Amino acid sequence: MKKHILLFCLVFIFFCEGNPMTDVYRSLPDRILEWKAGEGDVFYDRGNLFDYMDGGAEVYLAFDFRRVLVRKFHRPGGEEMTLDIYEMGSSAEAFGIFSCDREDEEAGIGQGSEYGFGLLRFWKGSYFVTVMTAAEGEDVDRAVLELGREVAKLLGPEGPEPAILGMLPQDGLRKKRISYFHSDIHLNNRFFIAPENILKLDRETECVFAEYGPRGDPASLLIVRYTNQQKALEAYRSFVAGFMPEAADTGIIRMESLKWTQIRIAGDTVAVVFDAPTEDFARQILSGIKID
Amino acid sequence: MAKPITRRNFIKGSVGIVIGSAAAGLSAQGEKKARVVLIRHPEAVEAGSRFNAPVIQQMLDEGIGALLNAGDPAEAFSRLIKPGETVGIKTNVWSYLPTPAEVEQHLKRRVIEAGVAENQIGIDDHTVKTNPIFQKATSLINVRPIRTHYLAGMSGCIKNYIMFAPSQPALHPNSCADLGSTFNLPQVKGKTRLNILCCLTPQFHGRGPHHFSRRYVWDYNGILMSLDPVAVDTIGLELIKAKRSQVLGKAKELPPVPKHIKLADTKHGIGVGDLDRIELIKLGWQQDTLI
Repeated sequence: MKKHILLFCLVFIFFCEGNPMTDVYRSLPDRILEWKAGEGDVFYDRGNLFDYMDGGAEVYLAFDFRRVLVRKFHRPGGEEMTLDIYEMGSSAEAFGIFSCDREDEEAGIGQGSEYGFGLLRFWKGSYFVTVMTAAEGEDVDRAVLELGREVAKLLGPEGPEPAILGMLPQDGLRKKRISYFHSDIHLNNRFFIAPENILKLDRETECVFAEYGPRGDPASLLIVRYTNQQKALEAYRSFVAGFMPEAADTGIIRMESLKWTQIRIAGDTVAVVFDAPTEDFARQILSGIKID
Repeated sequence: MAKPITRRNFIKGSVGIVIGSAAAGLSAQGEKKARVVLIRHPEAVEAGSRFNAPVIQQMLDEGIGALLNAGDPAEAFSRLIKPGETVGIKTNVWSYLPTPAEVEQHLKRRVIEAGVAENQIGIDDHTVKTNPIFQKATSLINVRPIRTHYLAGMSGCIKNYIMFAPSQPALHPNSCADLGSTFNLPQVKGKTRLNILCCLTPQFHGRGPHHFSRRYVWDYNGILMSLDPVAVDTIGLELIKAKRSQVLGKAKELPPVPKHIKLADTKHGIGVGDLDRIELIKLGWQQDTLI
């Protein structure tokens, strides 16, 4: 009972705030094919997201996450399908949370999407959306995608991707593998570098990670923009000392894997190429970065 | 002091599990060995991911017997639990991959047979801090499934005690490095009699808002158990790494970044995290054991 009162209060507050998600919430479908929405939609914000996903909340809190609406659908037999609509601080942040976890085929929903094994993920404007179910079958796939399409229609205008993506060299870039984030939590899940935060990433840093070359054996480029030149310099020194101390003078080294790693600093920006097949390839990628 | 792992030496394959060894100066480098039992049975998980209760109970009995060199389950449990005790079974209720009820109920049955009144046994997860049984528990049994975790790298027996912590978010920084500290909390310290890591359907990689995807769960049909939470997690991590290497490739072998396991040994001193000091006993089905 107490929980229901709390949920009612949260929904009430949500409507009274003139929240941009209000129209979305009011228009959400109650039924998709044979799946019906249950009672008790729930909203979580930065203060109570842990109640919804425990430690996984850190993944969202590392971005400019504002709130999430959770609606559960059920079909006869009791199977569940969960819709999460995350309101982020900007379209760049929505793109970011989407981009850190891409593995599946494009689903053609929103500004970018993917679907596989009961999990649909997409972003549009300042929203990131997931639809997830453990149920299986073609009818399940159809319901998940249909719900996604219905929600996407409600999300308003599209928004720009993060401006830092414009720094990436375009030649050989694998566009579906670009990730944008801020913290080492996401870097290590995307591309493990070290257990310690040797690049000194935090919520203020802007990072873009990209791959170049063949799918099975790509070279990777990480660009980090710090809030000032001093922080960039400290991060550069920290990375060289922790990862490639032999290359303190040159900034380039052939690793034990026989591939090349090269680091470069320019103003408030640090860029590192990992796993380049040749020294020239590493230099070519770094020289293609568009720094203001 | 061992050099901390980075992508360089990890890819090179020149390191074992040395994550977190920056604190190795605090380690007690004694000769203490820990025993871990892995028991598997091909019929433990049935079609549709249903659990075969009789088989699983037989595995638990046989495994605990081997762990303690005991002749039968009653003898084994009588060494762990004394009559008249209050016992908390710390389970895990994560909806996508909870501790199987078949395991919980069998443990409870064995604890009753060891002389504990049924009303003095609690099975709980999220409310252990305020659960009266757990507040006065004289013994704890730590049981949960194994899976990867976005922050901690792996959710195992060490991470299972985060619910005893005064603040869970306070344990999240630095890849949940200090999860081992929970075993030194007054409500817990010195009380854990048995650690069971269910590897019936492990999750070796995660996707989505809750880090779960059915595609990354497989039927391993195994159970790991030990008196030592660090040793059982250390072996569990080897299993996760082996499966990740097999499916995702060598470059993604390591779930980022399970430093808390080694630090539970070297910093918090609650067990053995050195593979060279762990005795692994493998029982039962040996196909695709991976470790």
